Amino acid sequence: MTRTKMFLIVQAALCAMIAALLAAGALSLYLDGAAKQAEGDLFYYMFTRERAGAKLLPILPLFFCALGLTIAGIILGIRDEKAEKPARDEKLLRDLSSIREKAVHQQADSKTRILRTAVLVIALILIIIGILNGGLEDVLAKGAAICTECVGLG
Amino acid sequence: MENKKENIRRPGTRRLVQLYAALLYNANLKGFIDGHIYSGDLKAACVPGFNCYSCPGAIASCPLGSLQNALNAAGHTAPWYVLGILALFGVILGRTICGWICPLGLIQELLHKIPTPKIRKSHITRKLSYLKYVFLAVFVIAIPLIYGVGKGIILPGFCKYICPAGTFEGAVGLLQNPANATSFYQLGALFTNKWVIMVVIGLACIFCYRIFCRFICPLGAIYGFFNRFALTGVKVNPDRCNGCGLCVMKCQMDVKHVGDHECISCGKCIDTCAQGAISLKCGKITLKGPETGKNADPEPEIQRRKKAGRIAWGIAIAVLVFAVAWFNFIEPAMDQAKAPAAAVVTEQPAATEVPEATEAPAETGTASETEAPAATETAAPAAPAADAPVGTEVGNLLPDFTTDLLNGETFRLSDWRGHVVIINFWGTTCAPCVEELPYYEQLKVAHPDVEILAIHNRAGAKKAKDFLADKGWDHLDFALDSKEKGLLPLLNAADAMPQTIILNKQGIVTYNAQAPLTYEKLEALYQKANEE
Repeated sequence: MTRTKMFLIVQAALCAMIAALLAAGALSLYLDGAAKQAEGDLFYYMFTRERAGAKLLPILPLFFCALGLTIAGIILGIRDEKAEKPARDEKLLRDLSSIREKAVHQQADSKTRILRTAVLVIALILIIIGILNGGLEDVLAKGAAICTECVGLG
Repeated sequence: MENKKENIRRPGTRRLVQLYAALLYNANLKGFIDGHIYSGDLKAACVPGFNCYSCPGAIASCPLGSLQNALNAAGHTAPWYVLGILALFGVILGRTICGWICPLGLIQELLHKIPTPKIRKSHITRKLSYLKYVFLAVFVIAIPLIYGVGKGIILPGFCKYICPAGTFEGAVGLLQNPANATSFYQLGALFTNKWVIMVVIGLACIFCYRIFCRFICPLGAIYGFFNRFALTGVKVNPDRCNGCGLCVMKCQMDVKHVGDHECISCGKCIDTCAQGAISLKCGKITLKGPETGKNADPEPEIQRRKKAGRIAWGIAIAVLVFAVAWFNFIEPAMDQAKAPAAAVVTEQPAATEVPEATEAPAETGTASETEAPAATETAAPAAPAADAPVGTEVGNLLPDFTTDLLNGETFRLSDWRGHVVIINFWGTTCAPCVEELPYYEQLKVAHPDVEILAIHNRAGAKKAKDFLADKGWDHLDFALDSKEKGLLPLLNAADAMPQTIILNKQGIVTYNAQAPLTYEKLEALYQKANEE
């Protein structure tokens, strides 16, 4: 095993470990909280700043370790060189024979221009109708307050 | 040393544009400091890329979130505006948006820079790339439509169950600020689920190039429909193309040919093509073309492009500076200059003045007053704790205020001394708020002496009246906030709804948190406030 490969594997393991700890930390807080709530404690909060901080703290050394390795890897130019080589998957490359024909087809012809103009005009009409029918206010109403269910708060 | 210098490459134009876009979308930098989101009128507009509108820095709305919200509300307002916006962005830029001005794309590319073994594209990843159309059909279209139109339930499926941008920019962006400490109280199964999804996607991005864009992103799927005829994008000159396929083989996206629905116009293929057949164009203007090789663009043209690029950067930086100044300094200063009018902060009655304050409605007999007088007859007015500081924290004396109610009456907080008062902040677009309001109605029926004031967030307040018409929540007092009234800032309410403030009989805050409540919790909180 080359040094580069070893470096990449260690870094991958570190990243996976950090991710696993982050996910497990949240899960354990949730499970503990759910158990407490099941016992009848209505106001037991599963997540608090302190509890979240306590779960994140042990991950910090790993995080800084991964960060250090990343910086070192970038400076030393360590990367998976295979990833930069052209793909060689035969099934993937089957369609390549017609690539030039597709390029000809893709050329901006009059039909494309008409379609583009038509969509542009329709888009502008839709926006104007939307402004008149209150769609604009709906977007503002949703965007101006925190969408707690959207961001996963509750 | 030479090698080290080569390894640390200068960021290219695309990376700089990505960073610029991320900063411009999130120009409300003070939001990261004070923990509040921007709630000005520009939020009615959408940015082209994926950027959560609940991010403290966001100055405009997320197109995908807006689409789900519009489809949710399609029963009463057709979603023409958002569809028009998406079509406009799509026809002008197509998936160039993904490659150049999407903050989530930038995050994924940076994560992919972490040196680890990488998963290369294959026929399997190409098949997986069709998954995003399933996400689009199910989570963005079907769930909001079925629940919104069919059942009247607000449910932005993709935002709620999947979107990692919402979790990272919105939830984490808000929770990291101590000002939003009570936001932690509402975290539960939903957050855990979304957190795990975000972590898994983040991890996968390290190993696999733009995994979210390629397999999950419904916004990319939408823009992909426009890619073939979009004004801006990577174009191939068939007279120069020899069909070698190197462009497709070296491309990290699952393209079948350059410029198809998977192409994000990143422009890597321009440098790859030995024939100089590929260029990035906006209409007839070449934004990036072959600069070396046998078919390289002529030197004067390259110089002209560079000059135009410098001018464009100059304008762009000026726009960014103006945006940062506007959202962080100018607009807040203008808002501050406009003093709240309707929500008059009356002087806090001293302990000895309480009877005078509580008797007001009955004695004055003003028709527009609430039913407070009747209530004062049944309960002895309680004196406010003289030593309690005025504020909104638990243990503080809530500042007195008056506001007009939707039923035409007037609410004055000090009139309700001697009663438990519950103030709830809600919005018609907030699903948890709408779900919990029936509990407040139930509480008021069970305990008629409690006063419940439900204040609608300023945005969308015009529609709240229609929304409430057939709900039958007749025991609650509803008020609408507005920029002029300034109720939310007065009571230091957060941007996250629902928020509930509960006052005991002395007007002291016994509970103040941004979290939805069940009936059991509400009853327990009421009992606690009633006993104090």
